[in-house]
Amino acid sequence: MPFWLIILTIVLPWSGAIIVWSVGDHRPQIQHRLALLFSGLAGLCALLLIPLTSDAAAIRLPFGAAAFGDLTFIPDSLGVLLAVIATVIGSLTVLFSNGYMQGEKSLGRYYALVLLFIGSMVGLVLSGSLFFLFLFWEMTALCSYALIAFHSDNPQAVRGGMTALLITQLGGVGLLAGVLAIYAWLGSFDIPTFLAEGGSLPGPVLAAVGFTFLLAAATKSAQFPFHTWLPGAMEAPTPVSALIHAATMVNAGVYLLVRFYPALAGIPGWTTAVILIGLITALMGSLMALTTYDLKRTLAYSTISQLGVMVVAVGVGGIFASQFHLASHALFKALLFLGAGAVIHQVGTRDMRQMGGLWRTMPLVANCFVIGAAALAGVPLLNGFWSKELILETALHNGYPWVYLTLVLTAGLTAAYAVRMVWWVFVGWRTEQFQLLDPGFQVAQFKGIGEALDPVTDSPAPATVHSGSPHPSPQFPFHAPLVILALGTLLSWLIAGEMGHWLAQTLPFHNLHVLPTLELVAEITLNEATLLALMVTAAGMVIWWWRGRILWVWYWFRPLRQAARHDFGFTWLNDRIVTDVKGFAAAWQLTQTGQLNWNMAGIVMALLVILLIIFNW
Amino acid sequence: MILTLSLTVVGLILIGLYGLLAVRNLFKLIITLQILVKGAVLALVIAGETSGRLQLGQSLAVTVIVADTVVAVIALALAVQLKQQSGTVDVGRLDTLKG
Amino acid sequence: MWSILLSLLALICGIQAIRAKQLLAAALWLAGVSAAVATLLYSLGAYEVAVIELSVGAGLVTVLFVFAIAIAGEEAMSARLILPRLLPLLLVLGLLAVLAVGGRQAGVNSEMLAVSRGQLATDQDFATTHWQERGLDALVQIGLIFAGVMGVLGLLTEQAGFVGAKRNSEELGRNQENSPQLPQVPPVPLSSHSSLSSHEFSP
Repeated sequence: MPFWLIILTIVLPWSGAIIVWSVGDHRPQIQHRLALLFSGLAGLCALLLIPLTSDAAAIRLPFGAAAFGDLTFIPDSLGVLLAVIATVIGSLTVLFSNGYMQGEKSLGRYYALVLLFIGSMVGLVLSGSLFFLFLFWEMTALCSYALIAFHSDNPQAVRGGMTALLITQLGGVGLLAGVLAIYAWLGSFDIPTFLAEGGSLPGPVLAAVGFTFLLAAATKSAQFPFHTWLPGAMEAPTPVSALIHAATMVNAGVYLLVRFYPALAGIPGWTTAVILIGLITALMGSLMALTTYDLKRTLAYSTISQLGVMVVAVGVGGIFASQFHLASHALFKALLFLGAGAVIHQVGTRDMRQMGGLWRTMPLVANCFVIGAAALAGVPLLNGFWSKELILETALHNGYPWVYLTLVLTAGLTAAYAVRMVWWVFVGWRTEQFQLLDPGFQVAQFKGIGEALDPVTDSPAPATVHSGSPHPSPQFPFHAPLVILALGTLLSWLIAGEMGHWLAQTLPFHNLHVLPTLELVAEITLNEATLLALMVTAAGMVIWWWRGRILWVWYWFRPLRQAARHDFGFTWLNDRIVTDVKGFAAAWQLTQTGQLNWNMAGIVMALLVILLIIFNW
Repeated sequence: MILTLSLTVVGLILIGLYGLLAVRNLFKLIITLQILVKGAVLALVIAGETSGRLQLGQSLAVTVIVADTVVAVIALALAVQLKQQSGTVDVGRLDTLKG
Repeated sequence: MWSILLSLLALICGIQAIRAKQLLAAALWLAGVSAAVATLLYSLGAYEVAVIELSVGAGLVTVLFVFAIAIAGEEAMSARLILPRLLPLLLVLGLLAVLAVGGRQAGVNSEMLAVSRGQLATDQDFATTHWQERGLDALVQIGLIFAGVMGVLGLLTEQAGFVGAKRNSEELGRNQENSPQLPQVPPVPLSSHSSLSSHEFSP
């Protein structure tokens, strides 16, 4: 039974990709329906896998013992959890796309890539073979690139896609190096084998594996210093941002760390490196989210920050806490992105200063968005609150008070930008005249995006928002995913204990100790750590209300704000590296004569060198 | 006899390599490539003969012959196209890949 | 004795194929190499390969060469070498020296090369070996042959199609020359849209 369910969960989206593509773009309604059907069926199969988890391989396809080992799929709870997230949120975003992508060109390409991504993501998390894990890893990167650059007539989209591809490929190379090192020493691509015998590797080799995997995870999950690609990835259609760049693919890095934690945690300095990377990312991400005016960028920086929190959780040993937060984050961040998509679809711009007061015109979206933002901020009784507090408590409990304090600071900043975001989009007024924050370079930079999305906003007149909306607001199915995700955000923490128990059952190497939900709730609520965090969160929210009175603080932090707004210089650094590499490559062009005889001479000289090496000279 | 044939293999391969370095005509380059591969075919059969698995050597040699013939066919098609497109098959003048 | 003569024949044919001024002559010298090698293979007991080499190498490939050369025509090449004059020879001789010295050091000697064990009892006949032991390779060869067929088609049909296209373009050009009163098409301005479609990654 698990055999066929796994096969179906992977193959259904893939075959759907081919079928939707071959239907042709002249029948968009059929494409919408088919994509929804295939992703929904895959989600159903993944849900059916939940009671069938086991730590033994359910599928074993031989690919030659000497070449690639067996392709195994292991339906253990960690993999199934992520597969469920990928397929269920995937089908919700496809449902959302049915409204969002109405009238877009090349729908076939869009849905084919989304479905291909869903299948690859499931393969990535269920694969029991390191080699095939790498293959699926690269497939998700490819889909991500192609979907970011989906509007290929927008140079910024193309540029964002290429940046994402280059940076994640760097991590892919790291992953491949680690996988090959494991294979060279253990003679096997089997993941359980590595987890069981990882300790028998020589120290330096294991360290190399650990840090190459950390590199791969940091690039995929947009961690410091490789976070620059995620804001650029916001050029993708918003449902794609919700699915790939918030809920699933960026979690692959955290998944990698969690999956190999038992084998890698013993490497000296590894957990410290993980914690430091996560902490810096969490802090930087929240600072940058506080200074940008672009709604989707705010969410992207927020994703970076929250992923950093998950990475920290792995580093301090809170495997369950990280997975709990991962699931919560997937729910509320997908909700936020879809809500933002609805807003952008309606308003036709991504600049938050041109929004405001949308509560009155789109109350349902506003309510769902506020639920998501509250979960992000860590308001009690929402899933984000419980998972974040669990991470904080784990950090304190495992003897990392400095980590705890930094995370609490991050939580305060998170609350501040969540309130700021909600205020500007739904509550406040159009704030061109609002001079508290000086308009940064991003305004000019993103002026074109709204136009690219929607030619109606050529005139930045405030009237367009309230009187005639540029797009006819799609009806029920468009908002159904928002409601479902909002309900999930409200209620998912109720099953935290069961989820932990379920996770612990089939992860023999991770040694999870998980409490039932009630005890978990009691422990979190009765902890002083929670109280402090709550106070800081409340302070973060209040700061935004009192921003007029504490103006002096704002000016005091002016250099920090400037730095945060300019991405702390990392974008500049990326461009610098690209320019230098291109210059270097151009310098080497001199060696190309373009003449066949010279090329042959090069080959013969290489042959000579190889012969000399063979003969041991 | 095996010694003679081994030297022939070396000779054919070196002649082929020299041709690839010194010949300017694209068609003639394909011809020298063929000479080089004849050496490889002979080498495979010799290896089969000396290791006692002549039939395996033959089988490998057949694979090489098939592959090599296909290479020749496709290379000839490309060369003819090139001649008609750019009017020359002189590799000294075909340097659009110059950096 | 015969083997020495045939070996010499193969080598001389090879050298002549490179030295030949005319392409057709070079192709025929190549056929000579192929025939000599086929005979050598036959004398080794590799009958099947010998037949295939003779029919494919000396037959089919030669026909293809003659055909292709007939389409493309002879072309006078400048005699000047592209590489420095002595470099090819030096490289090849260097290779030979490395092989000789290296082989000597690795313990290769003339007695070793003289040993012929032919077909041991464990060796099966050719058909069994080829189809059963190397079945996957046989399948790949079928794919290769398919590619070769496509190549021949390219040789035959694309040529006609190309000539047709060339003629069309020539007629087009003549028409334009003959009718100067045609309204001049203004150069298309590089619209923002087309300039945006560049996929180049330039920071």
